[in-house]
Amino acid sequence: MPFSAYLESKREDCKELVAELSKSFRYVSVLGSEVHNTVFRVDRRSSTVTDGRGECGFVVKMQNSGAVYEYSLDDISGDKAAIAKKIIDSIEVEPELRERMISGAEITDEPLKQDFVRESDFDSYSEEYLLSFCKELKDKLLAADEKVVNATVSLMPYTTDKLFVTKNRELTQHYGWCNASMMVFYSDGKMARARDGENSHLIADIIKTLPTLTDSLVDKARHLAKAKPIEPGVYDVITDSSITGLIAHEAFGHGVEMDQFVKDRALAKYYVGKYVASPITNMRDGAAATLSAASYFFDDDGVIAHDTQIIKDGILVAGLSDLVSATELGTEPTGNGRRDNYRRKAYSRMTNTFFEPGKDKLEDMIASVKHGYMIFETSNGMEDPKNWQIQCIAQYGIEIVDGKLTENYVTPVVMSGSVPDLLKSISMVSDCAKVIGSGSCGKGYKEWVRVADGGPNLKVRVKLG
Amino acid sequence: MIDVINILKSTEGVDDYRVTSTKRESYELFFVHEKLETVRSTDTISTDVTVYIKHDGKVGDSSFSVYQSMDEAEVEKKVRSAAARAKLVSNESYELPEGGVFSGEIESNFKDYSMPVLAEKISDAVFAADTLGHGSLNATEVFIYKDTVSVKNSRGVDKTQVKYHAMVETIPTWTENGESVELYENYTFTEYDPEVITAEIAGKLREVRDRQVAVKPETPMSVNVLIGPKEILRLLGSITRDISYANVYSHSNLHKVGDSIQSGDGDGITITLKGAMKGSTKSEAFDEDGVSLTEKVVVRGGVIESLHGDSRYAQYLGETPTGNLRCTQMEPGTLTKSEIMAAPYVECISMSGLQVDMYNDYIGGEIRLAYYYDGEKTVPVTAVSMSGKLSSVLSSLRLTEETVAVDGYTGPKNVMLKGMQIL
Repeated sequence: MPFSAYLESKREDCKELVAELSKSFRYVSVLGSEVHNTVFRVDRRSSTVTDGRGECGFVVKMQNSGAVYEYSLDDISGDKAAIAKKIIDSIEVEPELRERMISGAEITDEPLKQDFVRESDFDSYSEEYLLSFCKELKDKLLAADEKVVNATVSLMPYTTDKLFVTKNRELTQHYGWCNASMMVFYSDGKMARARDGENSHLIADIIKTLPTLTDSLVDKARHLAKAKPIEPGVYDVITDSSITGLIAHEAFGHGVEMDQFVKDRALAKYYVGKYVASPITNMRDGAAATLSAASYFFDDDGVIAHDTQIIKDGILVAGLSDLVSATELGTEPTGNGRRDNYRRKAYSRMTNTFFEPGKDKLEDMIASVKHGYMIFETSNGMEDPKNWQIQCIAQYGIEIVDGKLTENYVTPVVMSGSVPDLLKSISMVSDCAKVIGSGSCGKGYKEWVRVADGGPNLKVRVKLG
Repeated sequence: MIDVINILKSTEGVDDYRVTSTKRESYELFFVHEKLETVRSTDTISTDVTVYIKHDGKVGDSSFSVYQSMDEAEVEKKVRSAAARAKLVSNESYELPEGGVFSGEIESNFKDYSMPVLAEKISDAVFAADTLGHGSLNATEVFIYKDTVSVKNSRGVDKTQVKYHAMVETIPTWTENGESVELYENYTFTEYDPEVITAEIAGKLREVRDRQVAVKPETPMSVNVLIGPKEILRLLGSITRDISYANVYSHSNLHKVGDSIQSGDGDGITITLKGAMKGSTKSEAFDEDGVSLTEKVVVRGGVIESLHGDSRYAQYLGETPTGNLRCTQMEPGTLTKSEIMAAPYVECISMSGLQVDMYNDYIGGEIRLAYYYDGEKTVPVTAVSMSGKLSSVLSSLRLTEETVAVDGYTGPKNVMLKGMQIL
């Protein structure tokens, strides 16, 4: 699938608007964004094929020195002088506030012209086929056990096209990703929900994998219907890849977003070059670090994607920055400037964040636990970059007794505590790792972007409640 | 602007349609400490179209967005594509809401100011709270929004509402003796009153001062816990989501009308869902289908009294649509300050998020700041988490007689959860 014909048709408009606004500003960029998302969803009694959350519009960034201005609009066709005047009028600042604007740092505009495409196979499948695929899986789940009272199956392929233009820079990119999920509602005395899913840039991968997960999904639901609450306490814990990713994301991903360094909000700013985790811990982030949901070619500031090592052998080595934060800190931007959509501001954000695999075998890790839990599947989490507290919610856990997994399921599982205590307690790291690309992440409680996270199994000692 | 409705009317096979449109104008300020780092403005329109096709005794629907960039031919193509998608969908038959013309504005004094002037005034009111020696406000973001929302459908609905609101996000910070702590504040409102804004932020600065000296208490312990409006809304939201028409229709609900969700001797919960509440950013005159919003008692005295929800699922269940009601009122209880202080308790001030899991009978979460009263004195505490059995907590909970009104909620200032485990 080629780059968006619509954005391509606006390339000259972008260049003309940059030229017009450059009469008033030293740095001007225009980001054009077009995202299309289709949702196929079925449950016991209804179905839908519809457009999901997409976008099509432009955001203009301007700077002389110091403070930055942005303006979001739907279309940039027409008289550029008139559009430029409207933009300048709209970002007018009251005189008293003007005196309180930051000064100094200037964004640089390094020359680069490049076009990027990552092919997907979305056009190879008709909508009728994909809806039928969902319906068949739903019917299979409902038929698996009479106690399955509802089942949902969804497929959500989306494509992203972006055009970035400054005086010296012209970049385009096109890529796609697809998330698929299944959920079972199981009634056996109490109601339980179990979910599973798959994601890929190829629908073919999903069509191959998803049907193989139905039996284990229903079996999981059976166990969860009998799950009990966990006895709060401090335990030896083995994480699955999803929970490992959640730890990476909440414990240190948010903590090294460098716009927080600018604001003196991240304790990590003072720990660069120091031990922050067990020496067997290595962690990375980057749109170019792996192929997953947050794998783009350039960020929303027009910075080429990076593969950033955050923790090396337990030592914090680098953070993640957007263009403005890097400019203010005097560092190289790392390609982590991301927007919720073209209507929103760019911040330093995570992309694909994960711990690297180690040398231990998962079976040895489980065998090493006298009494503890293996915990599975991210529900949600919350960061606290200043005070290094963490909360991670797992969907469920399985009790480990004398080095063996039991049939005792517990749910939900809330893991909380201090980030350094958690990371320094990592005592084993498995030799296999998986990055899961179905997540979304907010900054505080807003500014949602698609992210991936994951890694190997970790053995940690942590508080569960 | 393309005449989308004319295209829908002239496309063969389209039985019904709904067009919703939101024009959003915004002005936004982003501060680092008290220095202004970024100024943003937006002027965008989002238009969503749903096409309905009746076939084989069923109804299919499909939606798409119309972008400003599209020409007439592209919109025509999208309508035809949506009609084809809708034919793949076979849902139980239902009708769109009929008739009703409305044009109005949700009450706000924001219209008395230009956006840049209002943003400056709100910023001044926020920073006026910064009067405590070691306290500061960081990463402050001020958003001013004007939304013009309209819904039109093929059955004569033609409604428009104008809504203003502001959001202030700020990080109250306390730095003393080389140590720094912070809390998170997200404050939304629809009326500009500088004294109210300053008082809200000043309260958060006092709280972060207390976090700086907060200690981890002796744990584990079993104690009564007081939660405030944000956490109360999460708890009530879990209950009311369960009894939506859509959940009941899909067999995903836990409770039905007549079920008791409380079996003990606690205060009985009475919940009313409302379309609008003075000063609330959640207030709406009509929902996304154009259904006019009023109010509905859904839980009375701890017993499910009625379901609620949108037009389609109401029809499936043979009920009256309430529309999507986003404001929540709870009747106050009888709990007094002296009763609260009759036994040790923990009053949650800041949580990373209360977790309520009705399926697994769980309530809990991480506490970032709380006040612990041990029967004699009150001390700020941190670095603890709480958990409890939801059904037990609901059956024994107590509601304060003192009430409070925050964005989207009026009701008891605190709910007491008895016998929570603190770790």
